[in-house]
Amino acid sequence: MNSLKMLDTKQPAYLSPDTVEEAVKLASLFKDSFSYVAGGTDLWVNRYQGNNQSNCLIDISQIQELQTISVADQKLKIGALVKLDQLRNYPEIRNNFPTLIEAAHSVGSPLIRKMGTLGGNILCENRCTFYNQSDLWREAINYCLKSGGDICIATGGTKVCYSEFVSDTAPALISLDAQVEIFDKNNTEIFKLEEIYTGDGIHPRKLSKTAIIKFILLPLKQKYRAVFKKLRPRKSMDFTSLTTAVSFYKDGGLKIALGGVSPKPVVIESNIGENQDALIKEALKLCKTVDNDVYSRLYRREMIRQFLSKSFEELSI
Amino acid sequence: MKQIQFTLNDKNYDLLVEPHENLAKVLRDKCGLTGTKIGCEQGACGACTVQVNDTPVLSCITPVIRCNGANILTIEGVATNGALHPLQEKFVEKGAIQCGFCTPGMVMTVLAFLRENPNPTIDEIKEGISGNLCRCTGYKKIIEAIAEAAPLMQSKAKKTGEEDAIKKETPASEVQSFADGFQIVGKPTPYIDARKKVTGQAQYADDYQFKDALHCKFLRSVYPHARIMSIDTSEAEKLPGVRYVLIGDELPEKFGILPISQDQTALAIDKVKYIGEIVAAVAADSETIAADAVNLIKVKYEELKPYLSIQESLEPVSENDEAIHPHCREGKNIHKRASLRFGDQKAGLEEADHRCRIHFEFEGLNHAFTEPHACTAFSDTNGNLTLITATQIPHYVHRTLSKVLDIPMDKIRVIKPFLGGGFGGKGDPFAHEIIAAHLAKKLGKPVKVRLSREEVFLTNHGRHPTEMDMELGANDDGKFTVLDSDIKIDGGAYGSFGVVTTYYNGVLLQAPYKIDNIGFDACRVYTNKPPNGAMRGHGAVNPRFAMEVLIDELAHQMGMDPCEIRFRNFLPSNTLTLGQFRITSNGVREALQTVKDQSNWKEQYGKLPFGQGLGVACGFYISGSALPIIWNEYPQTVVHIKVDFDGRVVVYSGASDIGQGSDTMMAIIVAEVLGLDLDKIHIHSADTLMTPVDLGSYSSRVTFMVGNAAKMAAENLKQEIIKSVAKSRRLKPNSLEMKSQQIISKDGKLDLSWKEAVDIATAHRGALATSGYYVSPKLGGKFKGAGAGLSPSYSFGAVVAEVKVNSDTGQVAVQNLWGAHDCGKALNPLAVEGQLEGSWHMGMGQALSEAMKYHKGLVVNPNILDYKIPTALDIPDFHTNIIESCDPEGPFGAKECGEGALHPAVPAIANAVFDAVGVRITSLPISPETILKGIRTKEKIEVVQ
Repeated sequence: MNSLKMLDTKQPAYLSPDTVEEAVKLASLFKDSFSYVAGGTDLWVNRYQGNNQSNCLIDISQIQELQTISVADQKLKIGALVKLDQLRNYPEIRNNFPTLIEAAHSVGSPLIRKMGTLGGNILCENRCTFYNQSDLWREAINYCLKSGGDICIATGGTKVCYSEFVSDTAPALISLDAQVEIFDKNNTEIFKLEEIYTGDGIHPRKLSKTAIIKFILLPLKQKYRAVFKKLRPRKSMDFTSLTTAVSFYKDGGLKIALGGVSPKPVVIESNIGENQDALIKEALKLCKTVDNDVYSRLYRREMIRQFLSKSFEELSI
Repeated sequence: MKQIQFTLNDKNYDLLVEPHENLAKVLRDKCGLTGTKIGCEQGACGACTVQVNDTPVLSCITPVIRCNGANILTIEGVATNGALHPLQEKFVEKGAIQCGFCTPGMVMTVLAFLRENPNPTIDEIKEGISGNLCRCTGYKKIIEAIAEAAPLMQSKAKKTGEEDAIKKETPASEVQSFADGFQIVGKPTPYIDARKKVTGQAQYADDYQFKDALHCKFLRSVYPHARIMSIDTSEAEKLPGVRYVLIGDELPEKFGILPISQDQTALAIDKVKYIGEIVAAVAADSETIAADAVNLIKVKYEELKPYLSIQESLEPVSENDEAIHPHCREGKNIHKRASLRFGDQKAGLEEADHRCRIHFEFEGLNHAFTEPHACTAFSDTNGNLTLITATQIPHYVHRTLSKVLDIPMDKIRVIKPFLGGGFGGKGDPFAHEIIAAHLAKKLGKPVKVRLSREEVFLTNHGRHPTEMDMELGANDDGKFTVLDSDIKIDGGAYGSFGVVTTYYNGVLLQAPYKIDNIGFDACRVYTNKPPNGAMRGHGAVNPRFAMEVLIDELAHQMGMDPCEIRFRNFLPSNTLTLGQFRITSNGVREALQTVKDQSNWKEQYGKLPFGQGLGVACGFYISGSALPIIWNEYPQTVVHIKVDFDGRVVVYSGASDIGQGSDTMMAIIVAEVLGLDLDKIHIHSADTLMTPVDLGSYSSRVTFMVGNAAKMAAENLKQEIIKSVAKSRRLKPNSLEMKSQQIISKDGKLDLSWKEAVDIATAHRGALATSGYYVSPKLGGKFKGAGAGLSPSYSFGAVVAEVKVNSDTGQVAVQNLWGAHDCGKALNPLAVEGQLEGSWHMGMGQALSEAMKYHKGLVVNPNILDYKIPTALDIPDFHTNIIESCDPEGPFGAKECGEGALHPAVPAIANAVFDAVGVRITSLPISPETILKGIRTKEKIEVVQ
């Protein structure tokens, strides 16, 4: 790309690389003032509200390699650019991972699901009543911690940001033992999905800025049953106020993932023997829930208990 | 700037775009195709849906550069050579289009949806459109249109080679006589402008494009209550492309919709009174420059103590602090007190065999129409200041501009274009209208304003947050004997319609039940929040909720059936209420009986399994206020009709069609009187230069008042024509009739076509012009406040709702809603049903999911994702019933149907929750937490902390 040398990194730019390598190269040029765009449904709204002010947008949606699904090493390899709406078209996913389909189906609206990608959803920016607002609003409230201010408006504290992790597909994927294949500056690494999240509301992901998620890997040939639940006021459009994904494996393993109630997905691994009340207590202990949602903290914590016990019941545990 | 190319509706476009522009803006501003609408700019409403490479996308969040080389289809490309697509035809035919603003996005979504799923079930259709919000229809007719279009599209796809010419819907050509002898009245009639809306041709306020227009953006206050110490506009003024920076003291004249409550200036002067109030305005060559300039304006504030709740505003203002307005009363932040008492409530309650008192709380609401406010002001070739604006009240805007800008009224023209929903939220003269007009006059160029969705919420004028104590007494027979209420409403920073709202909260409890001892005290306070005003149902929705819940509770305590207790108390027709409202036609009994029967009330109420329940409520509302806002000798509305050589009937009326179909209503009435097909009638409305005054679309006055005036004008025209023909043919005028586009003599000897009749009538004098008007009869008592709620006619309604409560989460779903509304006579049943279904949808929103939330004076949910109106997946099955009591004074017996249906829907849902789980709802919106707590208290289950 000769034109790389001619790029003025100070001017607003919109670039459309064809490969992952190219994308990362461009990203390195723009250092801090760039964002990757896939479906754009999360990014664009954050830009509209002034929370994302990247100078350069690197549109990765054309990268072919990330749009396919394949099987390798007993794993289903889902390209990160596969749209949320498309997942249900693949029998490999429908037959083996129905809760993933359910989770993807619960995101946004049919239009959002046609534009949004699986990779984009697991990277969905954390949300909070006091953060997802316009410039005018944030000026009036004097800027919360996540937008560069000194105080968390939700709690009054000055050290910790409690913005919520809101992806619906991530809890489902985590409970299914998903991994992610990440490419960054000539290096490919594989992590368990839950490992990429920090729990820090301001910087919710451990990934470097230039890293790109290429594939989501799911183990095939697992025998299990799973239940997915999502709490929200309306039956469409709304972000989650609590997402639970519980997978119960034939070997007696239990994996629980919760979203919407903490700055990162809350994950509990256990086995059939464990006392259910203890598991629920553990979940409640790990969830750092505050009043920054349409539903109150107390109610959502009550619902954690409800959803988990209902899930255990439905799984006949 | 980057160069891109795409094919749009089969045409090639080469464009220069900014790197981060979105597709919606480019389609509208650069390609000039304004059929694609912008409702929220956040992908949360669906109005902007278009198709890119056959895939539906939310164009407001689609980067335009991504569309380089793409094949784009917008609403303008759907009809072929003027022939509507079968889906568009069905939308028109089934009444799926009211204001039309959501329609283009809806059609684009559905076209793609039906390609993927050609044989959808009703549930699949609901899901398919669950990302497209509609505020007018309640989705029911949209779903019906899609269900009927789907098989048509399949059979169209099967035909090879030929283009089906879709038959144009001409309802008048299928005229049948009805039992009551009407040709068009009473027949389901698609809106006369539905085709324009479904093709994206209808122009709404932001769709008008002017050569060389300036764009205006606002700087808004970030403090709820603060003195403005200084405004430094110097940096903003220096920015290239900025033409003017306006601040408050240039427009000191106060305005407001009510003459007794004109407390607002166009921009804040001296101090700001709510977060979001306009402090400065910039006119610049582009929106971006104007927005950048706004960010360069520096304002220094000195904070004042803000008053943020009813409680705070009812406390005395201390010496060190400042009341919100200098005219606040009693040393507190009180705007208005209203009280009416008939009889002795205290004694009555003590004597009552049964009494029940409940404290109620209501969150404030926003109208949440799909079209944000927008306007353009410019001077026309005659030097008239012209304002095209999204308004329900062109007449009051006209007056306001004259007052504030000190321009003679005969040099001002206000035009209401197609409007994307009002519901009372476009029923005030607005600061942004005055500012645009002022700048246009000053700078000699058109000035465009469009509000973002957040600004729409900050403008608000929505339903007042309310606290209410109401007490109802009854005797052992179940007869209501006494009603007392104490009401406090939170007015926000300005007056708006608030004085009327204050009265309506109390006076509109005089019906539909007979109660001989009624009293209320109502108080409106100012607070430092966006102003509250009139919203569908205006002031009567909350007290109606309270009353219907109280009745339910009393019935429960007395072991009486809630329908039965209501039947025992209804007022009859042709009676006076306690406060001397004149009730004429009254279909409330029939309404309640209908919904009671349809819902199988007797077999189900109190007998459904735990978690399921039925609830009932009734309501009533005015068909316009008998007393106008501005007291003068002028009629409440005037309609002119002209007929010229071509036989076209042109109706001129100031009436504002805000999606409720008033243009169609007038056409139906005029066509009926003259015996013509609808397509002979042309409506020119809501243009204060061309059309005679109508006061506006508020308080449900238009069908009754404008309909009557249109009828009068048409009858005058009919007489003129008959007279001319009679004279020319030497016949007696009373031997002639006009119907089926002819004028005939009763003995059959004369048979002229409409055109021939017009030729005779226009001979020697040319075009005929007639006039009609309406003035309410003199009504009401002589006491203070007697005028509030007076109307020449009242509507009545009843709703039974069936709910399912999830006892694990406390969430409520409405399964069925049976509603019946007495609208006197349904001039157009298709339109009436649409208004009822939309009202119930809005009532459901208030019951379950809508609330304006505040944090220290900041609106916390000023967007259409966080302010939650029901989606297509949230609605129940609506069972719609029209009751016709044939009002003696309504045009062909018609009275209102635009607001009254909303009132019973809200309490019916709450009462159904009580039947389902035994939890009494006393605050709105219904919170799942409250329900859970209520269920658990009964079950004594511990709640996790």
